[in-house]
Amino acid sequence: MKEYLKNTWEGIWTVLVGMKVTLKHLFVPSVTIQYPDVKLPLPERARNRLYVNMDDCIGCDQCARACPVDCIEIETVKALPTDDLGVTSNGKKKALWVTKFDIDIAKCCYCGLCTYPCPTECIYMTDVYEFSEYKREDLIYNFSVLTPQEAEEKKKNYEKFMAEKAAAKAKAAAAKAAQAKTDNPNNSDKK
Amino acid sequence: MNLYDIIFYLFAAITIVSAFIVVNAKNIVYAAFSLLFTFFGVSGLYVLLGADFIAIVQVMVYIGGILVLLLFGVMLTHKITSVDIKAGSVQTIPAVIIIGIFAALLIGLMYSTHWAVNPAEIPVTTTKSLGKTLVTEYVLIFELLGILLLVAMIGAATIARRDGDK
Amino acid sequence: MYEYLNNIVGNEVITYFVVAALPLFLVVLPFALIAVLAERKVSAHMQDRLGPMRVGYHGILQTVADILKLIQKEDIIIPQADKKLFNLAPFLVFIGSYAVFAALPFSSKFIGTNAEVGIFYILAVSGFVVAGILMGGWASDNKYSLLGAMRSAAQIVSYEIPTAIVVLTLVMITGTLNLGTMSEQQTAYFWNWNILGGAGEGIQQILLIPFMVVAFTILFISTLAEVNRTPFDIPEAESELVAGFHTEYSGMKFAMFFLAEYANMFAVSAIIVSLLFGGYQSPFGYLGNTLGIPALIPFEQLFWFLSKGVFFVFVQMWLRWTLPRLRVDQLMTVCWKYLIPYAVFNLLIVGIITLI
Ligand code: SF4
Ligand code: SF4
Repeated sequence: MKEYLKNTWEGIWTVLVGMKVTLKHLFVPSVTIQYPDVKLPLPERARNRLYVNMDDCIGCDQCARACPVDCIEIETVKALPTDDLGVTSNGKKKALWVTKFDIDIAKCCYCGLCTYPCPTECIYMTDVYEFSEYKREDLIYNFSVLTPQEAEEKKKNYEKFMAEKAAAKAKAAAAKAAQAKTDNPNNSDKK
Repeated sequence: MNLYDIIFYLFAAITIVSAFIVVNAKNIVYAAFSLLFTFFGVSGLYVLLGADFIAIVQVMVYIGGILVLLLFGVMLTHKITSVDIKAGSVQTIPAVIIIGIFAALLIGLMYSTHWAVNPAEIPVTTTKSLGKTLVTEYVLIFELLGILLLVAMIGAATIARRDGDK
Repeated sequence: MYEYLNNIVGNEVITYFVVAALPLFLVVLPFALIAVLAERKVSAHMQDRLGPMRVGYHGILQTVADILKLIQKEDIIIPQADKKLFNLAPFLVFIGSYAVFAALPFSSKFIGTNAEVGIFYILAVSGFVVAGILMGGWASDNKYSLLGAMRSAAQIVSYEIPTAIVVLTLVMITGTLNLGTMSEQQTAYFWNWNILGGAGEGIQQILLIPFMVVAFTILFISTLAEVNRTPFDIPEAESELVAGFHTEYSGMKFAMFFLAEYANMFAVSAIIVSLLFGGYQSPFGYLGNTLGIPALIPFEQLFWFLSKGVFFVFVQMWLRWTLPRLRVDQLMTVCWKYLIPYAVFNLLIVGIITLI
């Protein structure tokens, strides 16, 4: 009987205590952050969307090789000796046209491995983390500053240059051969 | 035909139609739920007769108590809904005779009773007078019924108790 | 109120319909609109959150948006369901909870029916809710729904007993079943409320106070259980039964259940208010009396009735975020081993006190 009364009393009393706690919390300022309007500051080294500063990229392909999921695709074309690509911000001379620099951000796992090997520190993480798209193709980011036509042109130029060079080489070789013949006419005949 | 007549016929129709379904339904759950409307119609008729307390008791006891118990029984019984209910007719002739006798009795009663066709005045409330009669004139019956229900309750609890429970 | 409307409309039948529909449009629907939002806001703030914030200023239009959504939703009837009963159940539940409003004294001039059986009638019509819930749960052809319906019915039927005993206690003190008369007896000023011993005088009133508090506690707990609110919400326990008897309902039929639930919340609060907290009476006298405008009094009464009712609805929400859900056996223990014995003893002692 005593226990029964004690149970009853405890039941009611503990409920009242609990109600006191919840009532107090009714007036505690809420901890909610109104997300799209208010954003929490990100930690300093937060890893989010990648960005490539193409002005500094020398097209060395190191980032693509470091990526564990192969989501960076780089194609480069050698610049002609006559082209002047300028230098990067830390003084490296650029020698390659980067005709294609695609990052498939949908595949990216934000490991950040691509940012470490970059000699010019031009591929880095930004603080943008809201970049959803309606189409999957839109998640492939093209960083190359060259338009497709330009890229094509550079490629052609380079091919032409190489062809010319090869032709010149061939000519030179031919001339050399011719000279050798004149120098030493018997050699070849004897053979 | 005034408003009260219309309401009376409405309740009467509800009662009769749903009672018919109770008897004829092939599905026992339908029968149970139709009973709800039968009780409701009957309590409506009580209200029209000026017996408000009885009407409420009808709803309370039959809908709130009996019907819910019935539904519990129906729903908790395994596969009761798939049991075929016999709704056909057997032994038609004895049934007709018995029903005929009862019908004759009822109709005879109906005609021999002096109906108060024009009720003097519907009493405003019956609760107080009912309560008074229950604890004065019929107090013995009232108490006996109470004891009967108590006995039934204790009996039910005893039957429901598992052997070995203290 | 009724005569007044009858004079305007000039037809008895139309007047009945208007009077019957008034609480629905003036009280139940606006209340449900506000209460759904309040519930979310209160729960949010009790958990140090903000709750809905985006529709309107601080989310005040959230419920309107939700209703628009509910109206647009497809009314899915699962093919295995028992269509007739499935369609009937939400209406039965709603009728059961709305019928209660007929006997609530909103103010001295507006009470749906002044029938003498008032509170007894309210206890009785909740039977429709039980039948409706059982019907919906059974017709859904879903084991969770059936389980939820069973639990719900068992719970409501059990908790009706302490409710009825406490109501009986109060009926004994006031000598009437009519909620309107009961409110009238607890005349203005709060020391006349039944919770403080009623309008009686002398030693009897003081002796009654502790037992009235006990009565209030029992009544509050058991009515809370009757409307299936937390901590007694095992019939619709989300984590174990999905949503209990209304798992399979969608669109407007779901909205019916929802509306019935909120109507019920207010109804039981209103019952507590009329039984113990002075009904429509103001706690500090009427402004209409002081200013000499008697026409103001009914509106004041309406205001007091609604605000007291809403206060108890708030307490229900408050409890919801304080207590975890009870287990089924605990639920039955609370009812049969604690509430009913206490209620019976309370009835006995109050009976003795009223005799001296
Ligand atoms: S962050 Fe990792 S996964 Fe993403 S591009 Fe860089 S190396 Fe590849
Ligand atoms: S490592 Fe840096 S410089 Fe090299 S290709 Fe990648 S982004 Fe360009």
